[in-house]
Amino acid sequence: MVRAILLILAVVFLAAAPFFGDAVMIQYGIDALLFATLAQAWNILGGFTGYASFGNSAFYGLGTYGTAIAMAQLHLPFWVGLSLGAFLAVLCAVVIGLPILRLRGHYFAIATLGLSATLAAIISNLDISGRNIGLILPLTRNDVGFYEEALALLVASTLTVMWIAKSRFGMGLIAIREDEDAAQVMGINTTFYKVVALMLSAFFTAIAGGIHAYWITFIDPASAFDLSLNVRMVIMAMFGGPGTVLGPVVGSFILSAVYDALARSISTAAALLFGMVIVLAVIFMPRGLWDLGHGLRQVGWRYFLQNIRLHRL
Amino acid sequence: MSEPLLTIAGLSAGYGAAPVLFDVTLTVNKGEIVALVGSNGAGKTTLLRSISHMITARGSINFAGRELIGLSPEDVFAAGLVQVPEGRQLFPAMSIEENLQMGAFLRRDTAAVARSFEQMYALFPILKDRRRQAAGSLSGGEQQMCAMARALMADPKMLMVDEMSLGLAPVIVDQLLVVLADIRKAGVTVLLVEQDVFAAFSVADRGYVMETGRIVREGPVAELAEDPELRKAYLGVA
Repeated sequence: MVRAILLILAVVFLAAAPFFGDAVMIQYGIDALLFATLAQAWNILGGFTGYASFGNSAFYGLGTYGTAIAMAQLHLPFWVGLSLGAFLAVLCAVVIGLPILRLRGHYFAIATLGLSATLAAIISNLDISGRNIGLILPLTRNDVGFYEEALALLVASTLTVMWIAKSRFGMGLIAIREDEDAAQVMGINTTFYKVVALMLSAFFTAIAGGIHAYWITFIDPASAFDLSLNVRMVIMAMFGGPGTVLGPVVGSFILSAVYDALARSISTAAALLFGMVIVLAVIFMPRGLWDLGHGLRQVGWRYFLQNIRLHRL
Repeated sequence: MSEPLLTIAGLSAGYGAAPVLFDVTLTVNKGEIVALVGSNGAGKTTLLRSISHMITARGSINFAGRELIGLSPEDVFAAGLVQVPEGRQLFPAMSIEENLQMGAFLRRDTAAVARSFEQMYALFPILKDRRRQAAGSLSGGEQQMCAMARALMADPKMLMVDEMSLGLAPVIVDQLLVVLADIRKAGVTVLLVEQDVFAAFSVADRGYVMETGRIVREGPVAELAEDPELRKAYLGVA
């Protein structure tokens, strides 16, 4: 109950923030909120079932291009573009998910790696998507609006994950992560569960891509299907705590802030220091911030030593 | 004799190009405990995996009047044919209670599931004491109990137990055998797959002996135990 009130207060605070911040702060906020959504979307499959997807940047790209094609080429309203992008991404999740979700562990991750490159190659050769030059969307100067949309999307994805964590569906997903064979022997249709998780993941990822496209107004295949974006989703979700409700959100807020602070103060070396933060995080809190919270309360600073011993570093 | 619950006829299966089972025929009657014994690599686990449809097989598997060949593993499970897999395959980070809850995953009747919880905790009191503990932290014997309880939570017609005694102290195996007898009393038919022939025959009504993918002997365990060849090969007595 206390937790629910705190969460609502946090959302109200975030919603009110752009009316008090300057333009730079709002732009930073949009980025951070979209990243948090991407990490949360990745968490649905990666965190709960343990299937690490590198295909989410492809869903992001489809959301981006769905929106851009609808708005720039067909002159349809924004919401139609978002729906088209989400539809394409979810369709892609089903078509791709059915065959490759049969692969386990690393094999699945590798199979998804090629997805965004493949789609980028296709998009670069279609006239409707502007080939490899890209598309320009109609300009709208309404950063506060984009901020609130990004926040609404983050809230929607987090509520979805909250439901998953409590539902039978979520229990099934966790069972798959724990032991997929056993889950199957327990009568869980594992393929169905994994594909639905991937569809949900694709849906939120694509909407985030669509909002970003309209906000940034210019897209090309290289930026829409950027694999390093997928890597950031993974890092943020893992940093916060995969398979938890708020871990990926808090994790991505912190990492976005760290990255931004580093980029402002030392510019070029920022990526290097950012990398070091991640290395230290993986060594000292391999199960993320959420686990760190529990661990510190239970055993204090020995938590870090335990992790080192446990993972034989 | 009572009516057959599971009837397997002409079953063949294998992994890729390598055939493992050849024309297996086996019957389990309602309320029986049937032991399937044989040495390593005889095909016992493959037979169980074929029955629960983890691998595809050719032939006929009739369960409670229904042909199972061609169904998915979930359908076989839903039909009431539940396997306790070799090596337990618990969900290690989940508590005992959550593991048992997973066994009842497909059951919607919460009152009946609550009754099953009571029954399991009566059958395995140790699980009740440790119900909040992570399954991965249990001893081997407790894990086996947890795996059997989880399977029973599905309210099965028939339980298939694969290598129950694997890696367990004899005193624990004896306890589990008593539990199997209790399970049968509760109306669940049992197919027990074992390497430990002594243990299996001590509780079973009938037995099947497998060698290199074929059933080579079958009959009441009392008869099988007297078979000089089997005594030499499996019981280690001349």
